[in-house]
Amino acid sequence: MSKEFQDHQIRDVIRINYKYTMGGHSKFFIELMNNKKLLGTKCNKCGKTWMPPRINCSDCYAPADWVELKQTGTIEVSTIVWYTTSAFIKAIPYGIGFIKLDGAETALLQGIFSENLVPSKIKKGKKVKAVFNKKREGKMTDFFFVPEDEYENWISKPEYEGGE
Amino acid sequence: MQKVAIIGIGITPFRARYLDKTYFELAFDATKLALEDANKNGAEITHKDLQSTVYGIYNELFERQFMPDIFTNSYLGMNNKPGTRVATGGATGGYTVRMAFAEVASGLSDLCLCIGLEKCNDCYDEQTGTTTPEVLNAIAYSADMTYEYPMGMMAASSYVSMVNAHYEEFGNPTEEQMAYVSVKNHGNAINNPKAQSPMKLTVEDVMNSRIICYPFKMLDCCLYSEASAALILASEEKVKELKIEKPIWITGVAAANTDCFIGNREDMGRLYSNIYAAKAAYKMAGLDYNKIKSQIDLAELHDAFSGQEVISYEELGFVPFGEGGPWIEKSFEKQGEGPWIEGELPCCPSGGLIGCGHAVGATGIMSTGEAALQLRGEAGKHQVTIEKGRAISHSIGGPGAAYAAVIVMANKEGLMKS
Repeated sequence: MSKEFQDHQIRDVIRINYKYTMGGHSKFFIELMNNKKLLGTKCNKCGKTWMPPRINCSDCYAPADWVELKQTGTIEVSTIVWYTTSAFIKAIPYGIGFIKLDGAETALLQGIFSENLVPSKIKKGKKVKAVFNKKREGKMTDFFFVPEDEYENWISKPEYEGGE
Repeated sequence: MQKVAIIGIGITPFRARYLDKTYFELAFDATKLALEDANKNGAEITHKDLQSTVYGIYNELFERQFMPDIFTNSYLGMNNKPGTRVATGGATGGYTVRMAFAEVASGLSDLCLCIGLEKCNDCYDEQTGTTTPEVLNAIAYSADMTYEYPMGMMAASSYVSMVNAHYEEFGNPTEEQMAYVSVKNHGNAINNPKAQSPMKLTVEDVMNSRIICYPFKMLDCCLYSEASAALILASEEKVKELKIEKPIWITGVAAANTDCFIGNREDMGRLYSNIYAAKAAYKMAGLDYNKIKSQIDLAELHDAFSGQEVISYEELGFVPFGEGGPWIEKSFEKQGEGPWIEGELPCCPSGGLIGCGHAVGATGIMSTGEAALQLRGEAGKHQVTIEKGRAISHSIGGPGAAYAAVIVMANKEGLMKS
């Protein structure tokens, strides 16, 4: 940097508001919000189950039909986040992982909450169950997973409830 | 297809922050350096002779500008010629080299500017009074906005998922094996004057650094950087006309986009994009995936995270699946205090991303340029021994490391597949 150089910085922000359509997979969010159901889709040609759902099978280009999945599943892989983005830094530490719901072939990324958030508690192979917010907006943040043995404790909290 | 060579290499220093330069000013510096490099044996080309530009710029939010390429184009004096932008996450650099190669190989251009740039640390998080959380947020918008961003997914948690799945399957890389990569790459950067993070570390230093995302620690992660890197690519005819003394021939280029949803993959402990890109690039270069380690002199790898470098050894064909962890352990220990630029296959002699920093769009072009400098014998204090005359550069990025590109280079025209 030359000796004559003086820096000049400005504060600025980019912000866009949305009213965003979920298109063909709207039903997943409506059923989540209204009925605490987790819907996947099943290809009507090859039979593959998609979760997150997609209304067309990307493998064989046939339509996929809605199917209700179980609210229990198994952790495939997980981590605990201790440093993160500005949007989530107040939430640390938090657990996230890929969960294969019973009956699904693909795994879904979700938050894994635990009263004892340590790697061994949320490791591969652990059984988890979905817990829902009482106030739901039709978004992925309407639910999360907890270790099966903590399920009753979580749904007894005033802000949460169990599925159907 | 026309033969394509790298004839000019220009890399600015990788720094945490440039207060005295904007992104397009950095690009100007790299372009000027690349032109000077191309002209050092008597050629007299200027930016006016470059017929097209391919821009590697990842993130509009970093640059606080959509279509940052057109503003760079103006500043570089490249008006009234084609300029096209490539944006493929962390792999932007490698994909940009591939598209610039195609520009020349197809005959559309005889001289093409391939330039990457990024300036991330103008992002600023008011709550912590630091840049990084806001930089990470600007990157996190690259996760699927409906299903994954709302879960707090970000670059480290995405990569760690694959590394953890690999560990579950094979029992490696262990935390110590990942730490070897950090010590190696920070240590190699000591000999690279353009690197942002040269450091002499011990395995204990890495193991004791703060936890970021279990089990990645601070020193397992690259730092975001600001820089630009430029290559001038030329057709065979131009190489001869300009009497270029040490052209570096691009003998293989390939890329592959795998499923960006990690949960959709057959096996979560694999970076499938690496496997497909590597096999295709080696095939194009006439090399053998299973013997690649003995066919090249060095690899400039994309080590965004230490554990991901380890599993990349396997996917790029250096060692069989599951043997990446033991391989780094063995080669690290053999070279004691470093630098780690010898052994079966030197990886990241420049320091890689962990040592140099990650100026996203510029990174893969820097690593390609670094590999080319090695093949010329002009890498300076981190020069490796060149016997086979071939090297590779590797770029990976995007949600779940869905994008990967591999570039194979050679220092003799005769090493091209006929």
